[in-house]
Amino acid sequence: MTGAGSLVVAVAKNPILPETKEIFWFLIAFIILFVVMWKKALPGVKKTMNERSEKIRGNLEEAEQVRNEAQDVLKQYKRQLADAREESNRIIEEARETAENLRRDMLQRAETQVAELRERSREEIKAAQERATSELQSRVGTMAIELAEKVVEQSLNRDANLRLIERYIEQVGSRS
Amino acid sequence: MAMLGALSFPPIEELLEWKDMFGIPGFNKVSLLCVLSSLIVIVFFLMAGRRRELVPRGVQNIAESTVEFVENSIIMQTMGPQGLYWLPFLLTMFTFLLVANLFELVPVIQFPATARMAIPFPLAMFVFVLFIAMGVKRQGVGGYLKATLVPPGVPKGLYVLVVPIELFSTFLMRPFSLAVRLFANMLAGHLLLVTFALLSAALFTKSIMIVLLPLPVAMLVAVTVFELLVAVLQAFIFTILAAVYIGEAMNPQH
Repeated sequence: MTGAGSLVVAVAKNPILPETKEIFWFLIAFIILFVVMWKKALPGVKKTMNERSEKIRGNLEEAEQVRNEAQDVLKQYKRQLADAREESNRIIEEARETAENLRRDMLQRAETQVAELRERSREEIKAAQERATSELQSRVGTMAIELAEKVVEQSLNRDANLRLIERYIEQVGSRS
Repeated sequence: MAMLGALSFPPIEELLEWKDMFGIPGFNKVSLLCVLSSLIVIVFFLMAGRRRELVPRGVQNIAESTVEFVENSIIMQTMGPQGLYWLPFLLTMFTFLLVANLFELVPVIQFPATARMAIPFPLAMFVFVLFIAMGVKRQGVGGYLKATLVPPGVPKGLYVLVVPIELFSTFLMRPFSLAVRLFANMLAGHLLLVTFALLSAALFTKSIMIVLLPLPVAMLVAVTVFELLVAVLQAFIFTILAAVYIGEAMNPQH
């Protein structure tokens, strides 16, 4: 009987065979853990994780959008810069043309004025010359008459005549 | 001989027959460890869920890494995205087994609850029932049996040989090997730790034998580190095999 009893005990204590009471407590612990994990703990952790993923995704999308906007603005600025450069070139070119025209005009006007001035002074010189000549002629005439008179009055000697004539010529020479 | 006299292993009955605790009939150390494992995981994950930091730290970081590990390294590798439905079950299984295994290395406790068949066996039976149920649900009884017992491409003449082998390996060996792998690994690890701990204790004497003490102590340290690896690895293996079996029943082509 004792042998049979110890055999039964030995079979019951086979480590490969699970104990019912331990299975019972394991099932309780595991099922409670599963239910709490499924309904409460995991959703809480997952919610935080999903919120973070959403936030990161949102931030990435926002960053992408901001980048695109910045690129658009850059493109716009570049275009504006190019336009401005073109405009400034046009303005400079225009100014250059205006200046060239102005220079040409002024030069032409100055040349005309110079020519007019030259013409006028030539005419004035000519007039003065003519006036002087005619005055000289009239004075020579007058003096010739005066001289003739004096010659007639003092026609005594040849030396006196010669002196008169020389004096006259000297007078005329000093006047002209 | 003096050393051998001092070396007294506890009787093997202590590993097989556990005393009741707290005066509750049927509630022994293994039951306590099961409840403790469950409580630790629950408290840990509830604390982690309460923290809502953008950059996770501490408890939240560990909990989130564990969830991501089960999702990416177990479910996505074996079942694909549709297997994410099984996350609560597989995460529960992994975390429970991990804590129960790690009790092996916790001072004072120093026993893995999974070294008792009462834990691997019902878990393996859960997996067994679940993968058969999933197979039948997805493919019908006939379809599932055909997909399981007759691998594609096998000539009809070989059915006589292949069908019994597949029947045996899928419906008998799978739950058995799943349970025994975990149980035997953890029990063996526990026995190794006990052996080297007892040897070290026995050599810690005033006799000349103390010169041998560093050997079992070094082994004890090495085995402790090794058992840490085994505890994590066995929890992972059990869970990933459960995922493989359930995933295979859901998608026979995989």
